[in-house]
Amino acid sequence: MLQQNHRRDFFRSCGMGFGSLALADLLSEPANASRSRTHFPPRAKQVIHIFLNGGVSQVDTFDPKPELTKRGGQMLPFDNLKTERRTGVALPSPFVFKKHGESGIPISDLFPHLSQCADEMTIVRSMYAELPSHEMSLMLMNTGDQRLVRPSIGSWLTWGMGSENQNLPGFVALCPGGLPVGGAGNWRSAFLPGAYQGTLIDTSNKDPSKLIDHLRNTRLSAGQQHEQFELLQSINAKHYAQRPGESALEARIQSFELAYRMQMEATDAFDLNQEPEHILKLYGEGPQNRQLLMARRLVERGVRFVQTWHGNLQPWDSHSNIKVEHRKCANECDQGLAALIIDLKQRGMLDETLILCTGEFGRTPSVEMGQNGSGAAQGRDHNHWGYSLWMAGGGIKKGSIYGATDDFGFRAVENPVSVHDLHATMLHLLGFDHERLTYRYAGRDFRLTDVHGRVIQDLLA
Amino acid sequence: MSSTSQQHLRSVMVELHRFMAIAPIGRRNAWLLIGMLLLVVAPHGLLRGDEVRFNEQIRPLLAEYCLECHGPDANRRQGDLRLDIESFAKQSAIVAYSPEKSELSKRIASDDLDVVMPPPDKGKNLNAEQIRQIQQWIREGAKYEGHWAFQKPSAKAIELDRIDSSSAIDQILKERLAAKGLAMSPPVSREQWIRRATFDLIGVPPTWMEVEAFLQDPSEDSYKNVIDRLLDSPRYGERWGRHWLDIARYADTLGGSAIGFTQFPFSYTYRDYVIRAFNSDLPYDRFILEQIAADQLELDENHPALAGLGFLTVGMQFRNRHDTIDDQIDVITRGLQGLTVACARCHDHKFDPISTEDYYSLYAALASSQAPDKLPIIGKSTSDKLEQEYRGSLEKAQSHYDDMARDQSEVMRSRLRMQVGLYLREIANGAPEQDVSTAFLSYRTDDIRPLIMNRWRDYLTKISEEDAVFGPWFRLRKLAVEETAPERFVTRAIELLRGMEKENGEPLKPNQLAQLGTAPPRWNPRVLQSLLAKEPRSLTEVADTYGALFGETHQAWLKGLQGAALEAEPNGEIVPDEDARHSEVNSIVQVQLRRHLYGSDTPTAIPDQQATQLLNRTVSDSLGGKRGAIHNLHLSSAGSPPRAMTLQEDPTFVDFHIFRRGNPVDRGQRVFARYLSVLPQLEPKEFVPGKRRLGLAQAIVSQNNPLTRRVIVNWVWQHHFGNGLIHTPDDLGTRGQPPVQPKLLDYLSETLLHDGWSLKKLHRKIMLSDAYRQSAKEDDRSRAIDPENELFWRMSRRRLDMEAMRDAMLAVSSELDTTMEGKPVDLLAQPAIPRRSIYGFVNRDIVSSLSSTFDGANPNSCTAKRPDTSVPQQTLFALNSEFIQDRASKLASLSMSAVTTEEERVRWLYQRVFSRSPDRDELKVALKYVHSGGESTGITSERANSEAEANWQRLAHVLLASNEFVFVD
Repeated sequence: MLQQNHRRDFFRSCGMGFGSLALADLLSEPANASRSRTHFPPRAKQVIHIFLNGGVSQVDTFDPKPELTKRGGQMLPFDNLKTERRTGVALPSPFVFKKHGESGIPISDLFPHLSQCADEMTIVRSMYAELPSHEMSLMLMNTGDQRLVRPSIGSWLTWGMGSENQNLPGFVALCPGGLPVGGAGNWRSAFLPGAYQGTLIDTSNKDPSKLIDHLRNTRLSAGQQHEQFELLQSINAKHYAQRPGESALEARIQSFELAYRMQMEATDAFDLNQEPEHILKLYGEGPQNRQLLMARRLVERGVRFVQTWHGNLQPWDSHSNIKVEHRKCANECDQGLAALIIDLKQRGMLDETLILCTGEFGRTPSVEMGQNGSGAAQGRDHNHWGYSLWMAGGGIKKGSIYGATDDFGFRAVENPVSVHDLHATMLHLLGFDHERLTYRYAGRDFRLTDVHGRVIQDLLA
Repeated sequence: MSSTSQQHLRSVMVELHRFMAIAPIGRRNAWLLIGMLLLVVAPHGLLRGDEVRFNEQIRPLLAEYCLECHGPDANRRQGDLRLDIESFAKQSAIVAYSPEKSELSKRIASDDLDVVMPPPDKGKNLNAEQIRQIQQWIREGAKYEGHWAFQKPSAKAIELDRIDSSSAIDQILKERLAAKGLAMSPPVSREQWIRRATFDLIGVPPTWMEVEAFLQDPSEDSYKNVIDRLLDSPRYGERWGRHWLDIARYADTLGGSAIGFTQFPFSYTYRDYVIRAFNSDLPYDRFILEQIAADQLELDENHPALAGLGFLTVGMQFRNRHDTIDDQIDVITRGLQGLTVACARCHDHKFDPISTEDYYSLYAALASSQAPDKLPIIGKSTSDKLEQEYRGSLEKAQSHYDDMARDQSEVMRSRLRMQVGLYLREIANGAPEQDVSTAFLSYRTDDIRPLIMNRWRDYLTKISEEDAVFGPWFRLRKLAVEETAPERFVTRAIELLRGMEKENGEPLKPNQLAQLGTAPPRWNPRVLQSLLAKEPRSLTEVADTYGALFGETHQAWLKGLQGAALEAEPNGEIVPDEDARHSEVNSIVQVQLRRHLYGSDTPTAIPDQQATQLLNRTVSDSLGGKRGAIHNLHLSSAGSPPRAMTLQEDPTFVDFHIFRRGNPVDRGQRVFARYLSVLPQLEPKEFVPGKRRLGLAQAIVSQNNPLTRRVIVNWVWQHHFGNGLIHTPDDLGTRGQPPVQPKLLDYLSETLLHDGWSLKKLHRKIMLSDAYRQSAKEDDRSRAIDPENELFWRMSRRRLDMEAMRDAMLAVSSELDTTMEGKPVDLLAQPAIPRRSIYGFVNRDIVSSLSSTFDGANPNSCTAKRPDTSVPQQTLFALNSEFIQDRASKLASLSMSAVTTEEERVRWLYQRVFSRSPDRDELKVALKYVHSGGESTGITSERANSEAEANWQRLAHVLLASNEFVFVD
């Protein structure tokens, strides 16, 4: 019994980050004994959060506005809402919308592959944020607070649910060739323990062993390392024997075992070369498509929260020439987005995987004015008043549309959804009452949704 | 029953069985067993005696289960019931001595879901034992006590100072231990003690020579001598300075790329200040005064102590100024006072008697201070020649910036004078006040500037209703409230204006307009004429008319100035001053108008510093580039001398208000800069304007403020013992845990006062105690009684923190570079820069992998206690990092040249790495390993001179990675 007590301490001190559940097995504890804090059975077990950073234009993707086309070149019938920069006349979408699937959801020709999955998706057309600033809106979307330093949703979820894989971090952020605006702030754990922060992996690097720090020893052969490891653990064992019952010592000994095994196994998760040809083909080329496949490999291995970033800084930020800029970005990820849905579905994993695809805000339906007052650049400014996102899988309705913007797609007017509502709904799907998932820090019980948020029942299947 | 109590129960049952198996149970023993059982069911209850005490048992229960809805927060209070204040509680809910008649007692014990408290939807319920305690407390009279942390330490504690201090510590601890049937663990070996003491005080292991010298000196003084030597070492300040930087949420980056720059050029001067403060044993009260108010202590303008203000200024730089001040309030209250005040920003504290008024009183003490334009130089750069070069470049860069800032500010003001109508129009339309602290930087010429908007709004509330120019505005504004229909408005407006014309009497003659001495008309005739000509149909049109008039006035003034200037040309025509051609410049009518455009208190006469924040985007970007050039010189120029990140207070700021719900444009009651109202002995007085921060600092170090010294002695104790005397070091409020050893805490805090706030004396006392000399060995029996080691029956075994681990590896490989102070270095650089870790660059935007892997302090908020996690990233680092292997290879090659025989070499390595000699078995194992040589691959040939050396490298690596190296006994 007393031994049991030590084990619980040990269990508590290392039950973080790189998979605690397997550790629990090690100790013959029921797998979810003290780890999972879910309040009710979850609909989804894991999340893939696809971040199209920079701001996707809703009127060019998922929210068609015939009025905008009709009044192209004219001033809108109301004062343009205040955004970061001055905007002018209505700028019709250069893209063509068509209805898709049995649900008849309209999606523009920016996403020919993804359109084929329309019947799996729910489009929310009435999102809104607080300010037309990238950084603040990114923080809002990721942490629920646009100003203060707060834990990200991925940190909250891995803290709340634990990871199911001992050899991988519970929360992984994938980004090719750089960092999004706001950097590691987007996946930080803030006051939650450091082990719950997202592990960033640069997916432009194709060598899987370089994706996690110190995963391989570059100086020793496998045999040399094995011998050395045996010596280390025997010295540790003797040290422990002289200090029996000391859980922290035991924890580090176990941690060495895990680390030693991880050297092999963790590499596999990132090694896309192990995928068969037809799957590689399904996802297509390029880092954005490839990292979506990596995301699938990770959730398949029990990683709780995978966030994929489109790229360095803010690729979708089309202040000018939206026709070319948005096309380029969409081409980079369209095939992978569709493949992810198809692939998860064919593996029977879609039902337990929540996919969320969003930017930090949308773009203005009116054209952005240059400093000289002309709108010749044919781009759109940031728009936090209204934007679209889509979700699929994990307890989300199939083939539906929720909420609406005004006739021009500027402001969310029907069933507006705040980011806190989105967070509350996501937590609900993962088995949490957002008002009860709290962490006490500096004398306060903190929540992801602070004092806001409500679960949007109409989004649930 | 909570799961922990269940665990306790289970473990005691085991003890019980064992006990019964070996001993026949007499009556006394049976009672003992029942006592143990109770102890396990309610460990805290028994540890603290059988009587139910308000502060120890009841207050935490009320705080956890009741006060959210029945506590200090007026907005959340339900049923008009307050349980935190005795008189309120006893009005209705509690009948002393009579739980049966007490609503509180009935409600918490009720089975009815509609009646029971806390309500079931709160998701937390009192267990049977807790309910019993509350009922017992009521039965015993429901006595309230003031919250322990706010009370002055008892006199009893102070008397103890008469006996030798270290033994006083032991006396207090041993009393409590004995009462629970516990005793201190036996002392550690001398090798272990000197290793423990050395890591504790200087953060690196002892050298073998130091260990040997200590072993050879059996005198009792030898312990004291070691402590004195360590306290005198400059490494001490580096170790304890780093602990302090956790509190100060130190970082070298601004955070959030708020202002376009990412790195502080002079944060390091605060870090160096802290190290010096610890090394010189600066009295702790003085340390606080300097960190909060060095600029108000009458020091020389280049005094190095000014760098202490970094405590307030190295925090995260938010876009929103209110957040920056909130961060300062948090670091002061949590870090120095052990109170969580930040939540009172939006509402009264839910659990502690801290109101929003308290919060905004601290806000007022801090918000009137800003960083000065030019930071004071507090030292010399490394070379005179480089410093001269730097000064030359700085002068150039500065004048580039000043020139543009001056000119563009003038342009800005000139435009704002043409745009009065734009702002009056907004006011006429009833636009709400804007929070300027989040204003955007992307402006065009015709965009409204929120700052100017607010200045116009304030201005119009300040000037007289009888003002010659704005008098008509005020009257028409009143009219607009009564008359919303345009036709009626215009009719009554004309009527009103004509009446005002009449009040003016005879209009001024043209020649009077050129006379400087002409008496001013009551109402400005041009305003009246323009409005009458316009026939305004709404206040908006009135605003437009004013705007046009001010525009004309500004243009006419510019022309008038030009004319006046041209007269002074060498061949210019001299016009007499009273000439009618000067009517524009001299006219009293124009003077009345110009007062509102050029007067020093007018909305458009903004100082350059503010004007530069309002520039159009392209201009602003360009000016930002010039500011960036200055910043880069400070940051990167080799000759840039150290500067203090100071603050200066503007005493003219007086108007502070509560922000309702934290919203800066929803102003509540007026507040004054003063200390919190929680301490009964410390009456909050208004701080003197101009020295408000000094007032705050003095309230913190006042002898009547018991929080400050309790917090610091607890912090020192925690770093020596792994656990503090209070388990929530940054929350001594009602929701924190009360101290298990209140007597010891008070004793230590009072002796700190007696010792003139000397931390070095405090270290000495603590470290000379038997308590500190105890072994860290686990003991099942003691653990069963006191599982958290709250009574200190053993030393807790501690893992080296990130900095000590890294520094210790560099120390044993003889690479540690003991250069002190200066600009930060990259701790992840390869090959390693062997400076001490405290000199590492701290990036609060991208926390370094080293810091996040090894539980480094959170650089964004005050860390009173680091988390302690165990994750495989840590052991991957130990197995595979270049860093550890490079240290190992250096260590191995040192061992090759230091000693010749293999056996000696193993001994040398053990002594150096573990501060002890290996036993025979360990020798054998090590020798066997280096002889087996592993698998020969030749991979190591670049780094080792021979195959043999490669084997020694791998052995050294094992020692550095081992538990014995990273855990201190």
